[in-house]
Amino acid sequence: MSVSTNVHVSLEQAKLLVEYLENDQQDKADDLVAEIQNPINTALFAEIGKLTRQLHDSLTNFQVDSRLNDLANADIPDAKERLNYVITRTEEAANKTMDAVESIFPVVDAIQHQITTVKPLWHKLMHNELDLPEFKSLCADIDTLLTTTDRETAHMHALMTDVLMAQDFQDLTGQVIRKVIELVREVEDSLINMLTAFGLNSASEKPKPKVGNNLVEGPIVNTENRDDVVSDQDDVDDLLSSLGF
Amino acid sequence: MKVLVVDDFSTMRRIVKNLLRDLGFTNISEADDGSTALPMLQGGDFDFVVTDWNMPGMQGIDLLKAIRADASLSHIPVLMVTAEAKKEQIVMAAQAGVNGYIVKPFTAATLKTKLDKIFERLG
Repeated sequence: MSVSTNVHVSLEQAKLLVEYLENDQQDKADDLVAEIQNPINTALFAEIGKLTRQLHDSLTNFQVDSRLNDLANADIPDAKERLNYVITRTEEAANKTMDAVESIFPVVDAIQHQITTVKPLWHKLMHNELDLPEFKSLCADIDTLLTTTDRETAHMHALMTDVLMAQDFQDLTGQVIRKVIELVREVEDSLINMLTAFGLNSASEKPKPKVGNNLVEGPIVNTENRDDVVSDQDDVDDLLSSLGF
Repeated sequence: MKVLVVDDFSTMRRIVKNLLRDLGFTNISEADDGSTALPMLQGGDFDFVVTDWNMPGMQGIDLLKAIRADASLSHIPVLMVTAEAKKEQIVMAAQAGVNGYIVKPFTAATLKTKLDKIFERLG
């Protein structure tokens, strides 16, 4: 604000004022004083007027962006629920997959065990070294193996279909996460608008603030842009061996 | 050999348990953070600990420090399996006396290599 508070009275004006007062012309004297002060008042009022308009505009803009209110009260709680849904679905999928895999392990082990049982006699048969009792025993073992394999491969097929179907979380969680990303973008825009409305320039020359300054950070998603993190197990091993591990 | 697997995510505990079982470890217990793990370790004769870093309650690094500070537990080898990948953290874990450090995501082969190395050193 550039309002001068110095009152400039010229010699002529002063002489005139004295003359008015001496001649008992009070009205004219008052007018003259007002006239002397007037330039200041005009500038001051203009400046106050400008500030008032700016304040008014800022407040109006702030209200116009009532979207912020919706974001805070509805969309963000909704996003939290969506992200919880992602956790639930991915956990379900992981457990379903592991249920299936854990039931396949013993089946595979059983088949492998039966093959190991059959192998020595089978080897003898292939080299014409098998006698009749051994042949009968081998036939029984092979019969068991065939029955087991037949039954268990059908079972394994069903379990592998379960593993396949458990992957449907990817599509569903992908859609949900995309929605949340969209929301984050909208919040970002609203916050930038607010900063602009209040005249805080975000694009100043200050260095970019650092994200995640906590020690514990979880998975690093942009290892290639960072030099304070390792990018894989080899990096870990190199670092540890440089420390004498 | 009695092993304690510490991770706040049950799915990760399950994965580690399955891998360990495949490698011949059959006596495996679970805890979901350091403050649950520590009394289990103090009460049972565990031979080996696999722990995550970032957990609610007591974190893995603090569990490691507590194990090293407790005369009855300090001999137990600790393998850290975590998503924490800052060099600062790896150095910190090494200084706290970790026996191995695996970053997630990891493979069954990595786990096997690290375990072999740890038990080879212990003789």
